[in-house]
Amino acid sequence: MMNKLLEKYFRGETSLTEEKELKHYFSTGNVSPEHEMYRPLFEAFEHELKETVIRPVPEALTEQKKVKRIWFQSFAITGIAATLLLLLWIKLPRTSDNFALIGGNRIDNTEYVQRYTTKKLNKVNIILARSMKPMQSFNKVRKQMEPLQSLSDVRDKMEDLQDKLQFK
Amino acid sequence: MESTQFNTQILNHSDKLFRLAKSILRNVDAAQDAVQELIMKLWEKRTQLDVVENMQAFMMRSMRNLCLDTIRQHHDEDELPVEFEYVEPNPYQQAEQKDLASKIHSMIDNLPELQRTIIRMRDVEGMELSEIAYVTSLTANAVSVNLSRARQKIREQIINEQKRVEARVWK
Repeated sequence: MMNKLLEKYFRGETSLTEEKELKHYFSTGNVSPEHEMYRPLFEAFEHELKETVIRPVPEALTEQKKVKRIWFQSFAITGIAATLLLLLWIKLPRTSDNFALIGGNRIDNTEYVQRYTTKKLNKVNIILARSMKPMQSFNKVRKQMEPLQSLSDVRDKMEDLQDKLQFK
Repeated sequence: MESTQFNTQILNHSDKLFRLAKSILRNVDAAQDAVQELIMKLWEKRTQLDVVENMQAFMMRSMRNLCLDTIRQHHDEDELPVEFEYVEPNPYQQAEQKDLASKIHSMIDNLPELQRTIIRMRDVEGMELSEIAYVTSLTANAVSVNLSRARQKIREQIINEQKRVEARVWK
């Protein structure tokens, strides 16, 4: 029975139902020893069926329409909120003239501003120290070059001696 | 076609499309890119998709055409080699089977493009011959002939492999 079905399968004449039957036969433990060599073939098909696309298909494709609808609503809401805030800002009395702008936000808390400034200045210090490092190595090179300066003194003395000798 | 319809009718087929692209291009990254490209193209033309009767066959056909175009663009020589390793046979029965299973992937990958596409559409995806005929632009009879040739070639290789393993065991 299975022999005939397998022959039919390899001739490309089996129906989808018959092929399902074969797949089922090879997925069970009761495979005849003479058919055992074909088991990996059907297992390979089952294995390949489990392969899925790794990179997800962009969800943005399906979200586009939603975004369009939401965009108009959010624009209107933002507009109303901005108008209300502007009205509040105009109406409310100003509490203090001492303030700082940090990241575009008005900060009235002086202690916070001081801490923030110290932190930033410390950062500047670190950056400056880092950028000054190459300068230190310049100094080292200059110090090592100092003996070379005395060479010119030697040369001058040699020239003096030479003049004197010629004169004599 | 609405976005929800697009989601159910097209995105749900993305794994199937990926497997087809991977079979044709024999490269995972190129297959993923091909799936993305096809879905983007289909999204752009979603208003025209309502007239499509068999969405699966239509998408598989589009995927195959896109992959064949990609190969043509790279002048065939860029079609990347098979990734599966051809490992030496293991003497133990279970290991032998696993080894043979990985070799079968390789055997199918080494078939001509048309035959490996057909055998996978039929034996992995379980598609009807008429659907495969539409995807490959062949007649159902030609599909059947190619399917038979593909299966026969795999069978011969399995038998040869079995003989090699048996010869090793008897040595």
